[in-house]
Amino acid sequence: MTGPRSKAIVLWGIVWAVVITLSLPTVIVIGASFTAGEIIAFPPEGLSLRWYGELWQLDHFRDALMRTLYVSVICTALSIPVGTLAAIALVRTRFRFHNAIQVYLLLPFTIPLVVSGLSLMIFFGEIRILGQLWPVGVGLCVINLPFMIWSVSASVNALDPELENAAQNCGAPPVQTFLTVTLPAVTPGVITGALLMFILAFNEFLVSLFLTDSRTVTLPVQIYNSIRSVITPDLAAVSVVYIVIALVAIWVLDRLVGLEIFLRSK
Amino acid sequence: MARTGRSAGPLGWRLLDAVEAALSALWPFRSRQAVARAFLLPALLLVGLLVIGLGYMVEYSLHELNLATYRLADDYSLANYRYLIERPTYARILWRTFLAAVIVSAVTVTLAFPYAYVLVRTPSAAMRKFLLIALFLPFFIGQVVRAYGWLIILGREGVINRGLGVIGLPPADLIFNYPAVIFGLIQYMLPFAILLIVPAIAAIGEDVERASEGLGAGWVATFRHVVIPMARPGLIGASVVVFTLTMTDFAMPEILGGGTTDFIASAIYDAFFQLSNPGLGAALSIVLVTLGSAIVAGVFYVAGTGTLGVRGGGR
Repeated sequence: MTGPRSKAIVLWGIVWAVVITLSLPTVIVIGASFTAGEIIAFPPEGLSLRWYGELWQLDHFRDALMRTLYVSVICTALSIPVGTLAAIALVRTRFRFHNAIQVYLLLPFTIPLVVSGLSLMIFFGEIRILGQLWPVGVGLCVINLPFMIWSVSASVNALDPELENAAQNCGAPPVQTFLTVTLPAVTPGVITGALLMFILAFNEFLVSLFLTDSRTVTLPVQIYNSIRSVITPDLAAVSVVYIVIALVAIWVLDRLVGLEIFLRSK
Repeated sequence: MARTGRSAGPLGWRLLDAVEAALSALWPFRSRQAVARAFLLPALLLVGLLVIGLGYMVEYSLHELNLATYRLADDYSLANYRYLIERPTYARILWRTFLAAVIVSAVTVTLAFPYAYVLVRTPSAAMRKFLLIALFLPFFIGQVVRAYGWLIILGREGVINRGLGVIGLPPADLIFNYPAVIFGLIQYMLPFAILLIVPAIAAIGEDVERASEGLGAGWVATFRHVVIPMARPGLIGASVVVFTLTMTDFAMPEILGGGTTDFIASAIYDAFFQLSNPGLGAALSIVLVTLGSAIVAGVFYVAGTGTLGVRGGGR
C-alpha cells in the first residue's frame, strides 16, 4: 500500500474531488442560465437565451452592475499608488516602528470584515458621506489594501537593491532611478495586485451591504437580496456575468504575469 | 515609464529634469527614512479610516441603549458586555461558530494539501494550468454567486432532489442546516488554503523526497516525516487564515443556513439592524475581534507565523 500506484490513486482522488467541488456551482449556474422555463430546473427545460435578453430589461440589475464597476474602478485606482509606495517603503527601508507599522497596515486583513464594514459605516455616517457611492469604493480599498501590499512586496523582494544603487552610482537622480529601475521591476506585482483589488471589490458583499442603501446598491448585494426572495433564472444570467468577468481576469493575469507566479516558493 | 522615458528624447529628459529639480526643491530631505515615511503616509491615512471607525465601535460598546428613546445613553457602562455574558444565546452562537471554524480549517487544509502538492509536482504544464484555473475561477467569482450555485444544487427543488424524485426517493433536506453551511464554507475556503500552502511545498526540493524514498521510505512515510513537517509554515498559515475567515463569515451561514444557524457575524448584524441596538452590536464586535486576535496570537506563539509573516524590512 505504499507504492507509487497507491500514491497516485490517493492524491489524484482527492484532487479530482476538490476540482469537482470547486467547479460544480459554476457549471450548474451556467447551465441554469440557459433554461427556457420560468423556474430553475436541471436539466433545463429547453435551451434559450431569453433570460439574458430579460437581463437588459431589468433596470435594477443593470444599474447595480454599473455602480459595481464604478466602485471597483475607484478601489483599484486608489490602491495602485497607495499600495505600491507602501510596499516599497516597507520592504526597502529600515525605520523606527517597522513592525508596528506592518501590523497596522495589515489590520484590514486581521479585523473581521463584518466589524470593518460596520466601523466604516459608523464613521462614514458621522462625517455624513454615507449614502454616496464613492465612499464605498474607498471603503473597499481600505479593507483589501493588504492584498495589494502583499502582491507588490513579493516583487520588491525579488528586486536586487544593487540595481538601484548602480543606477544612482551612474548618476541617475532619485526620480529617474525610481521610474526606470524600481517601478518596472515591481510592475508584475502591481498588475497582480491591481487585478486582485478589482476582482475583490467587484465581488465584495459584506462591507458593501453596510455601506450601500437601496439607491446605491451594488450587484453582489442585489444578488444576495434576490436570493432571499424567489429564485428565478434571471439571477443565474446575472451570475454568469460574474463567471465571464472572472474568466477574463484569469486570462489577463495569465497573459500578463502568468498564473504560475503563485507557485513560487517563498 | 521606463521605455517611454528613454525613447522620448530631449523633451522627456527635460521633463524628468524639471521633476527632479522641483522635487529636490519641495522635498529637501535626502534620507531614506524621510522618503519611506512619505511613501507610507497615504496607506497609513487610508487604514486610519478603519481605525477611527473602530474607535467609534469601542465607544458605542460602552453605552447602553436607552429603551425609552432608542438612543445610546450618555454615561459609560459595561452593561452591553454584561448582557452578552448573561445571555446563554450568545455563548451558544459563539460555540457554534468556533466549532465550525475548527471543522472547516481541519477539513479544508487536509483537502488543500494534496491539491497544492499535485499542483507543484505535476510534470504536465497543461495539467498545472488546468488545476490553476479550477482554483482561480471560484476564487474570482465571489461568495454570493457560489452560494447561489449551491442553492440550485442542494435546494428543495434543486438538482439533487429532482434526481432523487426521478428514482422514486423522497426529497432530502440538504440545505438550511449546519452541515450545508460547513460544506459551503469548505468550498469557499479551499482556494485560500491552497494558495497559502503552495509556496511552502514549492520550497521543498524534490531531491529531498527522492532521498527519503531512496532510503526505503514509502510515500506515506515520506509525507509524514518529510513533506508535511517541511510544509508546516504553509499549513499553519492556511489554517489560521481559514479559521479566522470562517469565524467571521456572514454570507454562507445566512444563505445556506437560512437563518437556522446564526454565526457571530449574523448576531452582530441582528443587533445592529434587527434589535436596533448598536451598543450591543459594537460590544459583540469587540468580543469577536479580541477573541479572534487572541486565538491567532496563541497559534503564532505556539507554532510560529508560518507563511503569513511579511519578510523584508531593510536588507
